[in-house]
Amino acid sequence: MPVFILARLALFETVRRRLLLAVAILTVVLMGLSAWGLSSLTNQHWALHTEFLATVSVLVIAIAYMFSIILAVGAAFMAAPALASDVESGVVLSILPRPIRRSDLVLGKWLGLALLLVSFTIVASYIEMAIIKVVTGYWPPHPDKAVLFMSGEGLVLMTLALLLSTRLSPMTGGIVAVVLFGITWIAGIASVLGQTINNPTLIHAGTVVNLLLPTDGLWRGTAYYLEPAGLLALTESGAARGFSGPFSATAPPPTAFLIWAVGWVIVVLGVAVLRFNKRDL
Amino acid sequence: MLSKARTGEDDAITDLQTREEVAVPATSSPAIRTTGLVKRYRTTTALAGLTMDVPRGEAFGFLGPNGAGKTTAVKLLVGLTHPTSGEGWVLGAPLGDRETRRRIGYLPELFRYQDWLSAREVLALHCALIGMPRAHRRAEIDRVLEVVGLAERAKDRVGTFSKGMQQRLGLGVALLGSPELVLLDEPTSALDPVGRHDVREIIRDLKRRGTTVFLNSHLLTEVEHVCDRVAIINYGRVIALGTLGELIGGTRIVRLRLAGLPPEGERDLCRFGALSRDEGWYVVSGIGEDAVPEIVALLVRLGARIYAVEPQHQTLEERFLQLLKGEADAGLHSGTPRAL
Repeated sequence: MPVFILARLALFETVRRRLLLAVAILTVVLMGLSAWGLSSLTNQHWALHTEFLATVSVLVIAIAYMFSIILAVGAAFMAAPALASDVESGVVLSILPRPIRRSDLVLGKWLGLALLLVSFTIVASYIEMAIIKVVTGYWPPHPDKAVLFMSGEGLVLMTLALLLSTRLSPMTGGIVAVVLFGITWIAGIASVLGQTINNPTLIHAGTVVNLLLPTDGLWRGTAYYLEPAGLLALTESGAARGFSGPFSATAPPPTAFLIWAVGWVIVVLGVAVLRFNKRDL
Repeated sequence: MLSKARTGEDDAITDLQTREEVAVPATSSPAIRTTGLVKRYRTTTALAGLTMDVPRGEAFGFLGPNGAGKTTAVKLLVGLTHPTSGEGWVLGAPLGDRETRRRIGYLPELFRYQDWLSAREVLALHCALIGMPRAHRRAEIDRVLEVVGLAERAKDRVGTFSKGMQQRLGLGVALLGSPELVLLDEPTSALDPVGRHDVREIIRDLKRRGTTVFLNSHLLTEVEHVCDRVAIINYGRVIALGTLGELIGGTRIVRLRLAGLPPEGERDLCRFGALSRDEGWYVVSGIGEDAVPEIVALLVRLGARIYAVEPQHQTLEERFLQLLKGEADAGLHSGTPRAL
């Protein structure tokens, strides 16, 4: 089927253009730095082992947070040129007159990049967690669900960037996607702050933004499933007392939100197909 | 100014343009038929009612000045652009029909192939996209590489290719699977004389095998060499369409170097065709097949001194320029195709 041929082509492109190699090298550097940082914790004297584990678990969430941002921004800049650069360079002029649908190209690009993104998230996350386990002995409570939510966050931003790629230039599309991601991030923090100070306007604004672009909500899922029970209890009491920041969540994202996020990806992808179908090339 | 048209040919062209208005059976239909095809971009009209037939098995030249709408027309034919109004059929199917595109080869004007693939990989990708059985792909790719002269560079990345070699590759992509219709948009713009010669031979070979070739080119001599039929478009519509013979063979010119031509002589020469002056030469255009002896006899009768008589066929380029000049003089930007 053409969609699989084009998905394979999109994957192959990342390999041939050495994107995969560059990302792999950066990941190894990141893992090396985190292993070094965590090993310094083990050299320190801790009165209570639980205190040590709580500190490590917070650090793990911080590492995951940084990784999720890199992943989301990387996904945006990977998808933003996916269609736009093919249109600009004239590659689509040779592919689309073939007996394929335009949707095959859009979905093929999405599928190829999604496979790459999810595979990379799974492999890099589990290697990182294995390093943490070896260095500190700590293993997060629900790594599978955390990785799932992190992949979802990347997929959401990648899908948005692909939609932008149907009309905007690669650079414009990438920047717009990252700025929107930043707005959602701030809105998520504002929403948590709103809950803390009981400000309905901030809460509602955060909710609306999170529905328009569900990246922050999915990040909260990652954070929640990385929190061990002790840290969760601390977070809950912290949330009751005051601002708990972007590194924590007191509850998993509701099922309705997850359905919304899946529907969001499907609808945005559908809009991308429709917009690309109508475009004169 | 050179003469414009002959009524009989006018009728023939009109007839060619209007017959079989709507129903187009797949087997007996022309390779391409468009009726009143219009394409507007916000403030620009790229095509203003393109109406033409391209018969099967011929090489069809598609000419026009820059901005005439040639590339837009080709993009409409292969489904890259959607018409604002009008209709069109390619190989008997409506414009944009996906299955029909399996039988079409297309070389775009401004194109690039994936520069991170090798030539063989680009061809393999297109074999897969047209659904060619795996068992046939290798032999077909080898054949095409041989035809376009890239067999020795098959494993090299496209990114290392010169523009001319990329154009050869593009031609190879268009020839994959022996399509019934090959659309070539400026196929030789980046090629050296040897490359141009090769392309001419490829087009002739396609014609011999019954393939329809739609050639959009600025190089009029190239079109003159290989095309059976030509359409000239300007401001998005056909201003002339016919066989090469109809287009340039029927319009003859005689150049005369004379002295002592009496004033009434010019008037008498005008009876044979359009008279103009070109640096001391009298040029009579649009004359009949047997007019030259009659003109010479007339000049002798008038007592003119005849230094040179040069009968000429009009070149396609001259005819092309003449038609465009006629358009500009008449301020014509719309209407029906002009007769030859």
